[in-house]
Amino acid sequence: MNFLGDVVAWFTTASHWQGTNGIPHRMFEHVVMSAAAVGAAIIVAVPPSLVLGHLRKFGSVAINITNAGRAIPSFAVLVLAAQIIGIGAEPAFIALFVLAIPPLVTNSYVGMADVESEIRESAQGMGMTGWQSMWRIELPMALPVVLAGVRTAAVQVVATATLAALVAWGGLGRYIIDGLAQRDFVQVFAGAFLVAVLSVLTELVLALVQRFTVSTGLTHRHKDKNEPFVGAATVVEPISVTQGEMH
Amino acid sequence: MPAPAALTHATVLAQTSEPWIRWDWVSSHTDQILTALREHVILTLIAVVVGLLISIPLALLARRWHWFEAPVLSATGILYTIPSIALLALLVPWTGLTRTTAEIALVSYTLLILIRNIVAGLAGVPADVREAAEGMGYTSTRQFGRVELPLALPVIIAGIRIAVVTTIGLVTVTAVIGQGGLGQLILDGLIRDFRTEVVVGSVLCVALATIADLTLVAIQRIAMPWTRRGRTT
Amino acid sequence: MRKHGGRLVLPALVLTLALVAAACGGSDNKSSTATTQAKESITMAAFNFSESAILANIYGKALQSKGYKVTFKPNLGTREVVQPALLKGEVDSYVTYAATELTFLNIPGDAGQATPDVQQTVTRLRDAYAPKGISVLDASQAIDANAFAVTKATADKDKLTKMSDLAPYAAHMTLGGPPECPTRPFCLSGLEKVYGLKFKTFKALDAGGPLSKNALANGDVDVALIFSSDGAVEARNFVILEDDKHLQNADNVVPILRTPKVNDEIKGIWNSISAKLTTADLVSMNKKADVDKADPDALAEQWLRDHGFSV
Repeated sequence: MNFLGDVVAWFTTASHWQGTNGIPHRMFEHVVMSAAAVGAAIIVAVPPSLVLGHLRKFGSVAINITNAGRAIPSFAVLVLAAQIIGIGAEPAFIALFVLAIPPLVTNSYVGMADVESEIRESAQGMGMTGWQSMWRIELPMALPVVLAGVRTAAVQVVATATLAALVAWGGLGRYIIDGLAQRDFVQVFAGAFLVAVLSVLTELVLALVQRFTVSTGLTHRHKDKNEPFVGAATVVEPISVTQGEMH
Repeated sequence: MPAPAALTHATVLAQTSEPWIRWDWVSSHTDQILTALREHVILTLIAVVVGLLISIPLALLARRWHWFEAPVLSATGILYTIPSIALLALLVPWTGLTRTTAEIALVSYTLLILIRNIVAGLAGVPADVREAAEGMGYTSTRQFGRVELPLALPVIIAGIRIAVVTTIGLVTVTAVIGQGGLGQLILDGLIRDFRTEVVVGSVLCVALATIADLTLVAIQRIAMPWTRRGRTT
Repeated sequence: MRKHGGRLVLPALVLTLALVAAACGGSDNKSSTATTQAKESITMAAFNFSESAILANIYGKALQSKGYKVTFKPNLGTREVVQPALLKGEVDSYVTYAATELTFLNIPGDAGQATPDVQQTVTRLRDAYAPKGISVLDASQAIDANAFAVTKATADKDKLTKMSDLAPYAAHMTLGGPPECPTRPFCLSGLEKVYGLKFKTFKALDAGGPLSKNALANGDVDVALIFSSDGAVEARNFVILEDDKHLQNADNVVPILRTPKVNDEIKGIWNSISAKLTTADLVSMNKKADVDKADPDALAEQWLRDHGFSV
């Protein structure tokens, strides 16, 4: 397998691990950008969606944002952002931020809204205010679905960040775009491999986060919803909630 | 970036006081736009149809032999983690700058969604309904066709909807290997620094995806009037 | 969504059908130009910068008016992507630049050396491509070579007029160019070898397009690769540094075509176009494309009409 031999050689070349175009730097850029975009999207999109879900208001707005959001091609957002604000990290951030919002909105809304009415009523009966009910009872119950949304958003962002190399940003996409331009398929493969690894790692890390933050009482309840592969979304049921555009 | 650099940045771009959309260009290029749109529709349809043709048997096998489910979902899941532009670039030396290359990539990305939803849809048929059908003497084929499949359809169609919308977005990326449909407009707009093309390409893309989504919802409602979907669709 | 679902069904279906019908209907306009003789079909590719699209349109449309069925594939990519497509027959032709094309073939010895002499370079290119089944037609006097530019401010500050002037400053400067620049002899590797320039960093942008020019203008890069036929140099306050050590060679415009597609008519038309095309034409068309956002096909048609070709 000559090609794979070349790929191994690429990974074992010292110069590929140094400097601005080295693996550690590109990996770092990629992770930081993805985390920043998802983080910002979480801050902006999750709290309002949680509240709306709790109030069960404007559900159709939430859903329409998702559907419209999924339909916007990230490639186009990147190009438009680059033409307006210039090349580099800024348009990449904007495009990825926009991409991360739909799954976060839907999952947060639906996660909260789907908490059964009896539970809300019991909370009320126990004398809790709406706020307390939301924080102490509903949110923990909605957490699996909300976190599934974070996972979807994160994995989508990591994959799409590769496109940003087209508008002169860095990240792991650099290897793919440069490799294509230079007809260096070893470089393309190496880049693709690194992104795939990062995607899987992102999934695993967030799955762990979910395992540790979601109360065991809930995981017991969700036992019959299969997780055949960690890379697949957890909640197999309404797929419109947990899935979305990836690239 | 530091303030002085940011200021120069903004001034440079402000100089290009390019309107968002030049309508005269649009009206003189309807042919080009419609060709791009047609290409986009064709690329999407082929991808989803082929995706279904591959996913349905795989999903049925996964239902039949439960051990098969995990590896199939893992394999398609791994395919899904490869960024589209990389998959396209890697296919080029094998299948060239052709529609085939674009389709191989596009189909690959539909598989995870379709298989997972077909499996989930069929799995979601309540056991007592299946037992009732058995009790009524339905053969397993009849059971599948008359009972399981119709009940699974809402989730399956939800998957098709997502696959279609996702594919429409992904088709734009295939512009980097000379395909792309509306993505060609966007890429050309990038290369020529011509906003109109980018705007037209993206707006039509979103419109196409929205219409496709609504059409599938309509089909679902017409074909399955008993579905009572809640807030999630 | 449920409440409004029913009302949306009919409009949605109608809209979809209308869109699809319109889309399908839009493609049938080529049949009106069919002539009685069936002439062959030719796919013209172009690189991912606008001058290439203009050139492809000039040569391609001239054939179209004679009844050839010409398909255009603009923005296909870099030479690294387009040339293999030509060799494999996925595309039939593209308009290239003699010296860079020859150097790209990486042929050892003199046979693969591009020189400032266009005849010599083109002959070598022709000989190199003949066994590969590619015909190299006549080259034009129009030239477009790599050029490196700085902003007027930088040029004034560091007193830069030619490439060698960069030597003391390069280590603190960022070079911007297309992603394939690092591996191209007329780009980064040549800058190092011939001028001894080692830049602080290299930023991958595009091939002399908006990304590069905007990056140069707003200071994201200090030196940028643009094309010598760029039309916006004055308008953008750029200064092209003189290639005093002659890194660049005879990058004359020359169309190449797969040999099976060549016939006397095509040769006649294309050689005639090449004879009439000048660098000034390129600069003027590039300017219109860059500043006025004129379409490559419109510019091509205008050029053809102005020079006595039917469109």
